[in-house]
Amino acid sequence: MTRPGPHSRIRPAGTIQAVAFVAVVAVLPLITGQHWLVSLLVFTVMYAGLASAWNLLGGYAGYPALGHGAFFGVGAYAMAIGTSHLGVGGGYRPFVLIVPIAVGTALVVLPIARLLLRTRAAAFAVLSITLMFMVQTLAYNIRSLTGGSSGLIVPLAPFPAAIFERPFYYAMAALLALTLAVCWVVRTSKLGLALNAVRDDEDRARGLGVQTELVKLVAFAVSAGLTAAFGAVWAYYITFLYPGFAIDPLLALGAILMAFLGGRRTLWGPVVGAALIGPAQQYFAYRFGASQLYLVAYAALFLLVIYLLPEGIVPSLARRLRRLRRASPAAATHDQVATDSIFSAGDLG
Amino acid sequence: MHLFVQATIVGILFGGVYALIASGQAIIFGVTRTVNFAQAIFTILCAYLSYTLFTDFGIDPFLSILVLVPAMFAFGIGIYVLLLRRLSRSGAELGLLVLYGLGIGIQGVLDFVYKTNNRVITPGYANNSWTVAGYQIPEVRFFAFLLAVAVLGTLQLIRQRTKLGRALRATTQNPVASRLLGVDVERISAIGMGLGVAAAGAAGGVFGMILPFNGNTQYDLLSKLLSIAVLGGLLSMPGTIVAAVILGVVESVVAATISPDWSAFSFLVVLFAVLIIRPQGLFGRRLRGAL
Amino acid sequence: MVSNVARSGWAALACLAAALSLAACSTSATNSSAGSKTASGPPLVIGVSMSLSGDFATLANPALKGYKLWASTVNAKGGLLGRKVSLKIVDDASNPTQVVTNYENLITADRVNLVFGPFSSLLTVPAATIAKRFGYAFIEPSGGAPQVFALHLHNLFLAQPAPIVSSGDAFANYILSLPTAQRPRTAAYPSADDPFTQAIVGEIRQRLQAAGIKTVYSTTYAAETVDLSPVVTRLVAAKPDLLVSGTGGADAVAEVKGMVQAHFTPKFVFFTGGPNDPTFPAQVGPANAEGIFSTGDWFPQAKTAGNAAFEKAYVAKYGGTAARIDPAAAEAFACGQLLELVAQRYGKVDNATIISALHHGTWPTVEGNLSWNADGSPRGSDIVVQWVHGQLLPVYPTAQALTKPIAKPAWAG
Repeated sequence: MTRPGPHSRIRPAGTIQAVAFVAVVAVLPLITGQHWLVSLLVFTVMYAGLASAWNLLGGYAGYPALGHGAFFGVGAYAMAIGTSHLGVGGGYRPFVLIVPIAVGTALVVLPIARLLLRTRAAAFAVLSITLMFMVQTLAYNIRSLTGGSSGLIVPLAPFPAAIFERPFYYAMAALLALTLAVCWVVRTSKLGLALNAVRDDEDRARGLGVQTELVKLVAFAVSAGLTAAFGAVWAYYITFLYPGFAIDPLLALGAILMAFLGGRRTLWGPVVGAALIGPAQQYFAYRFGASQLYLVAYAALFLLVIYLLPEGIVPSLARRLRRLRRASPAAATHDQVATDSIFSAGDLG
Repeated sequence: MHLFVQATIVGILFGGVYALIASGQAIIFGVTRTVNFAQAIFTILCAYLSYTLFTDFGIDPFLSILVLVPAMFAFGIGIYVLLLRRLSRSGAELGLLVLYGLGIGIQGVLDFVYKTNNRVITPGYANNSWTVAGYQIPEVRFFAFLLAVAVLGTLQLIRQRTKLGRALRATTQNPVASRLLGVDVERISAIGMGLGVAAAGAAGGVFGMILPFNGNTQYDLLSKLLSIAVLGGLLSMPGTIVAAVILGVVESVVAATISPDWSAFSFLVVLFAVLIIRPQGLFGRRLRGAL
Repeated sequence: MVSNVARSGWAALACLAAALSLAACSTSATNSSAGSKTASGPPLVIGVSMSLSGDFATLANPALKGYKLWASTVNAKGGLLGRKVSLKIVDDASNPTQVVTNYENLITADRVNLVFGPFSSLLTVPAATIAKRFGYAFIEPSGGAPQVFALHLHNLFLAQPAPIVSSGDAFANYILSLPTAQRPRTAAYPSADDPFTQAIVGEIRQRLQAAGIKTVYSTTYAAETVDLSPVVTRLVAAKPDLLVSGTGGADAVAEVKGMVQAHFTPKFVFFTGGPNDPTFPAQVGPANAEGIFSTGDWFPQAKTAGNAAFEKAYVAKYGGTAARIDPAAAEAFACGQLLELVAQRYGKVDNATIISALHHGTWPTVEGNLSWNADGSPRGSDIVVQWVHGQLLPVYPTAQALTKPIAKPAWAG
């Protein structure tokens, strides 16, 4: 399950799962009339999507990207500028902008990605977060476009109060479904195998004829484009952009924490992680935030996840289940391979 | 021209403090292969401790270094033994996140204990300066620079002239070979971690005298430390020091001659430019493998 | 392998369901506890999101004190219309996503009766739109930037005498009131990049330039900049007669320190923020604070409605002296005073009443006599204050001044 391969094509179980997931996500806001709950779901689904998009580059390709806040912010500002400067109009029309924003970001990112991908490991991690600070500085300084530190207002959506959150929720949910579909395709295609090879040993992969440059670029651009799409919806929902809010170092770190908790390099891991941490983060800040020890609790959770579940919930659970049903020797062998690949991934040489 | 020289002087002086903090980070990276995302909060932690020692006990921040450096050395060893050692198998990526998480936790404790007001350590000489040939030399920054030179010199002596230093350098270059040659890599790594954190301890007090700080200041400092680390090549001590001084000077000069708005940005441009030509940084060796 | 993948997918679904049911349980718990209090007369619950952590936590703290002080004061008087006032304060971590979550929660999950605003214009904008959506009045203490009023919200009221921009007008008026010989000839305008400071400094610069005062240095720096030495270097080199600096607090301290080190004293020094922090003299050295100007909406000696009682209660509750009260505490306290006044005049404090009431008449608070235009922008003006003999005193306009402005003495070093 960690190694994608062409043999894991569409299966009945997977199909049922996908349908059930779509069904649950679709009816969730309908069964609860609570505004705050739907609002919480909007952000949770957004985080699930962000963590899944990060997983493409950070998980499958093994490139520790810490600067996805930059792409989120680009998407958010593109939405704000599109609605306020370009006069796209209100209502549902801004949602149409998501497509050009995602595609545009993916394309614009390509040359930058080429540059960043010359570095690896820790250097890549640092450069990616540096890129984020650069984009943030630009957002502060190009005042004519972004309003700088005075902020930029996105026209308030005219949806009726009773169902105000729903359009945003469904937009986020559709993007999450798209992101998961992309992840699934990547996992089951040659691209996934190539990314896997890049993560295990990039130089050897290139030596064996894998087009490492190309697959890394594709993973980077798609990951960035999807992240920007979520940023665009967020901007319309939150109605107000400020460089420090829209381009936030903690955004990528939150997504990474969710991916780690759920299980990197698994399809559902980031979703599980987001479903747990997203609401918990917001809810705890709301209920217990009055004590500044909230940060300590967050850090403790962070460390507990890393030490107790270094592979994440999904792989750990799956292994537990396998251990219960030790029937198939094939499964046991695979288990070992999966574990090895996780540990060897951390080797810097 | 006067402006340019004045800005350069100020930049070099504070660059020394950056160099001190960043060198600690480089030593830690050398022995653990983990970018210490908590180096900034360690510095802030020591700034707070110096603050308390100064305001409650009247101990001068330059004197409190004598207490803080050994304490932070022990703290660094503790972090290695309790948190990082057991990760060695699963790699540097987790270490980076562990240290980042630890940093958030420490910030939470600091916010709780000290509240989030900006603090600044103000001994009597905090505002004094000398005028040399028409240029202002702030006393605190000058002493901070001297301190940085002294500590970095000591570290360099340890690395070059002692058995421990040889073991440190060997571990940094190749842990596996060092182990084969009989170096106790875990012990050396723990000491390296201790030295790196102690460097932040030495810098904390002067940082708190030069700039107002609170827990949140760590992000500003962290972004600078990360840039320095990459430009310097992560492992190299000389590279780190050069990169830190370049950062200090570029920021100061751009801020004074163009606009402070673009000072941080201009350094990042320098960083990107260098990395296009030399992806391994100014002095670095190429690192292999993904995380 | 197939079944494992399948299982992890189901785990994802289970997690979603679990998260939801957890949330659902907590709502019902909140509702039942609210219901149980009905017997003893329901308290009036006012929801507030405050930046207890994150970037704004330092600045927001006085506002929090002001809210709490008002609640305890009004409860000591028997509450509002016989109902005990209970504040529900939640943390937004200085983050807009959390602010949205918080006000949605306060209004729709906890069903608070009323809400007050958060700290800073940046968080006020997203928060105010949610209050608007649910028909809540939005009395807020600190969101005075032009962007807030550009929302054209009918339910919003800033509990200050004037919008931020007018702070600049007050100081510009003072400088232009001086005889030509005494006016500064050159001026420098370094400012943090922040909606609050930019608005004030921009206004002063525009007016003074038009009056022929030459700009010799002008720059902006990122709001979180802590190393201001490059700015000070330029500032000292420019040798302005007048320094107008858009500062938030720490940067004002850093600028003073830099000028002291460079032995350069301008004839006039004005900071938008910093000098009105009671600990300012301690931070720059008491003698160095002398003669520094700022503008303010509130000052300790103000003769505004209920100010003496406010100061007495503040000192009783938090200690210190009246001189050490931060104006942000008075702003938050004024939000509460407005509610009391609506209750007195109309006998009820539901949201619709508050909104329609505040759009008419004037409302005397510790912040002065307040009234608003349709967008919630106050119609009054701010006051120029100066550190004079160790006290921060109003010095202009003359009608509200307690003393005459003094000349800036050279730095004490």
